[in-house]
Amino acid sequence: MLKRLLALTVLAAVAGVASATAQSGPIKIGAILPLTGSGASYGVWMKGGAEIATEEINAAGGIAGRKLEVIFEDHAADASKAVNAMRRLVEVEKVPFTMTSYSAPTLAIQPIGAQNKVVMMNGGGQSDNLANKPYLYNNIPVVSNEVGVIAEWLAKEKGRKAAVLIVANDEAGRNAAKSFREKFAAAGGKVLAEEQIALDGTDFRAQLAKLKARGGDLLFISSYGRNVAIVADQARELGITIPMAATSWVQVPEVLKSKGAEGMLTTRLPFNPDSPFANKFKQKYNVDAGFFAVQYYSATKIFAKAAETAMKKNNGRLDGEGVKDAIETVRAFDTPSGKLVFQPNHAAVMDIEVGVLKNGKVEVEKVIKANP
Amino acid sequence: MTAYLAHYLVMVGIYSILALSLNLLVGYVGIFSLAHAAIYGVGAYASALVALHLGLGFWGGLVVAAVAGACAAALVAIPSLRVAGDYYIVASFGLQVVLLTVFMNWTDVTNGHAGLPGIPRPRVFGWVVDTPFEYVALALALAALTYAICHRLTHSAFGRVLQAIRDDEIAAAAMGKNVVLNKIVIATISSALGALAGSLYAHYITYINPSSFALHESIFIMSLVILGGSDRLAGPLVGAFILLAVPEALKFLAIPDTVAAPMRQVLYGALLIIFMFVRPEGILGRARPKALEPPPVTSHAIG
Amino acid sequence: MDLLLQLLATGLVVGSIYALCAVGWGLIYGTTLHFHVAHGAVFSLAAYYAWAGQQLLGLPLIVAVVLAILAAALSGLLIDLLLYQQLERRGAIRTTVFISSLGLLIVVENVLAMVFTPDPLRMDIGVLHNAVQLGPVFLTWLHVLAVALAIAGYLALMAFLKRSRAGQAIRAVSSSPEMARTVGIDLGRVHLLTYALGSAIAAPAGIIVAMDVGAEPYRGTTFVLLASVGVIMGGIGSIPGAMVGGVFLGLLENLGVWQIPSEWQSAISFGVFLVFIVVRPRGFFGRRIQSAEI
Repeated sequence: MLKRLLALTVLAAVAGVASATAQSGPIKIGAILPLTGSGASYGVWMKGGAEIATEEINAAGGIAGRKLEVIFEDHAADASKAVNAMRRLVEVEKVPFTMTSYSAPTLAIQPIGAQNKVVMMNGGGQSDNLANKPYLYNNIPVVSNEVGVIAEWLAKEKGRKAAVLIVANDEAGRNAAKSFREKFAAAGGKVLAEEQIALDGTDFRAQLAKLKARGGDLLFISSYGRNVAIVADQARELGITIPMAATSWVQVPEVLKSKGAEGMLTTRLPFNPDSPFANKFKQKYNVDAGFFAVQYYSATKIFAKAAETAMKKNNGRLDGEGVKDAIETVRAFDTPSGKLVFQPNHAAVMDIEVGVLKNGKVEVEKVIKANP
Repeated sequence: MTAYLAHYLVMVGIYSILALSLNLLVGYVGIFSLAHAAIYGVGAYASALVALHLGLGFWGGLVVAAVAGACAAALVAIPSLRVAGDYYIVASFGLQVVLLTVFMNWTDVTNGHAGLPGIPRPRVFGWVVDTPFEYVALALALAALTYAICHRLTHSAFGRVLQAIRDDEIAAAAMGKNVVLNKIVIATISSALGALAGSLYAHYITYINPSSFALHESIFIMSLVILGGSDRLAGPLVGAFILLAVPEALKFLAIPDTVAAPMRQVLYGALLIIFMFVRPEGILGRARPKALEPPPVTSHAIG
Repeated sequence: MDLLLQLLATGLVVGSIYALCAVGWGLIYGTTLHFHVAHGAVFSLAAYYAWAGQQLLGLPLIVAVVLAILAAALSGLLIDLLLYQQLERRGAIRTTVFISSLGLLIVVENVLAMVFTPDPLRMDIGVLHNAVQLGPVFLTWLHVLAVALAIAGYLALMAFLKRSRAGQAIRAVSSSPEMARTVGIDLGRVHLLTYALGSAIAAPAGIIVAMDVGAEPYRGTTFVLLASVGVIMGGIGSIPGAMVGGVFLGLLENLGVWQIPSEWQSAISFGVFLVFIVVRPRGFFGRRIQSAEI
């Protein structure tokens, strides 16, 4: 009996120490990002955005008096790396919240987050399958919104009737291609052929040659990062002269600078390059900020706001469940791109712009409002 | 800290199974395979798929994994082992590439690069293996079982035939042993056991995608065998214990993962070279008597 | 039809690159019997030498390429001198040499990845990137150059082996090392020459790929293993065989996607290879190797 009592006391003491450290000291959250590999340019923005937000939060006194600390992990576009990173964050660092990116890695970690009650905020992946998942919130619209806009624009206003598709062989690429097939057909167009490519590949000539032989009047590129620049350059090299189109994923320096991508028709999500945030980013990192930088700046700020709300409600205790409930009750958050409202499907809606890529910039032709 | 330790021990269990099974080929018949990671993947996919779609339990998954692994290996072993060892290196590399392409592109089944999430934790005799330390027990138990199977195999009459083949193939053939058939059988058994590790891995991480089963993984498993010592059963175990501790140790040095991953590989590669100079028989291995070296090979005219 | 011609042309280009790599590996394998997987490291190194020469040292492209080929030849020679020959001096068997070669491949590729990141490093090749149109077929000047280099490299090597004294020594060693030794040929020196030659002929393959799509650290592994497939298909010990085997692989991969979905491209060659070793294990031109190797 005495032994058991002693054991209980020790246990209680240990538990007490554990919860004491959890209630003071810095608040640790995770961020699983493409810091290397074919999407490393996105990673520079995402990490920078989160860092600037963290500095601002800590300069303003932290979250309920506690400093915020972000643990950055690299998934290099590989879902199994994301899973390992998530396990470390959940089991070793015991974070209540993590930022995540890319579709396949986010889908892979979601069951782990849901099981361990860790909130995940995705600011970059856009597969439709990311909606309606417990503990996963997307402060970005799912891709079918964007693809719907561009497919209709291409068919109705640009007179495109027959498309060929080149598709990154992963969750994001395949999901966007599936959306494109549906929406382009609904707008009166036809998809003639589809070829798949590896995201980290460097030679897509065989696929492009096959697509060229199918004719058509539009090449839709359902891929992202460096990959798109290689596709565009090699397509031109093979004498493919039909217009190319893509989604906002092509807003990375490699694509904007590439010769082959000149004239590409594309969507864009709202980003103001002259905002105070963009200026601050440029000053700190000496790189122009992009859309994805704001996304992770916002994601960090959303966490701070939700954590503060949760801690107020739960007497200073912070856990994933509390953060989730806070996001559900607050729902609308202020971001540099305007007010962001989480929809019932856990995703955001945004204005969508369509335009033409010229001299490294998108010349916007039309804006489709999220809330007309 | 304890979470790290548990994870390390589970991985030791999984890689011990891989190394022990590969050693049946490398150590006992002297055949090098570059496809063991792909076989590991076949096991992982097979048992994940039957768990996700058919609701088959952990033991059923293990059996399916073993059968699938054996079939995949037989596909290559039957044509290439009829020829010679060098062919098997190339053919097994081919198998590695083909299987990885299948994991990647048979998207209806494997979900391609996006992989299979949400694989259930195993239920063993009505008990769900969920906490890290419970999983340690399961992984080490299966590793012990594999060790027992390998021990039994290598100490049987069949095991002695294999060693006779390794030491002098021509003499073994002259004694009326069917060299090719014995090689094919052991390649198949080795793969069936390797596939078990895949099943264990899939249910542990609860997520699989092709990148866990790539060529560098095959090379890593081979390093475990060679550095541990391929002519002793316990050699690969020692290799797994020591080499898997390396990445865990590097984690405490706060090196970014982008540098740490290749650095780990550099270390493994350098160890392979150094061992070939100072201790080619591996940590536990016994120096091989000169008389047992394979005979010099026939030469080929260039031109 | 246009598609078939395009795939045929692309196949020839890719096949030429494989052929260079296979001829180099086949020469070394046939002469020394080393299963020299570190040939892949030489392939990757050649790419980075050329990249570094142009982008870091600011040399003109042609100078950077020539220096890179020489540096690759020296690298191959040093691998034999400082690794394989040292091991053999200690009585190493073929297995030991193979494992050390594998270890070296891992070390070199990962050091490259640590220093230069795993991302491709692009070179500036100017007009070589411009398209050439031959009827319905589109290539770049670089692709045309690849085919020309493969033919030139092959012819030069054959002439060297047939006509020069050193070349004849290589052939003597490959046909019978014991006999060569008794007539006074220094095996060690012939091996060094073989490594230098084999590396020099494979280097342009690595450099062309780097000029086309960028230098990448892990690409050598794939190429050396494809080279070994090409050599076995062509026939071990036969240089014309390695050449034909390499070109055959390139054509197979590209013509294969005419009917097969392109994502299965890398599996095509190996599927055919497995059938091939059942039907004709000695390859197009070679002899069958005996059992009991490695």
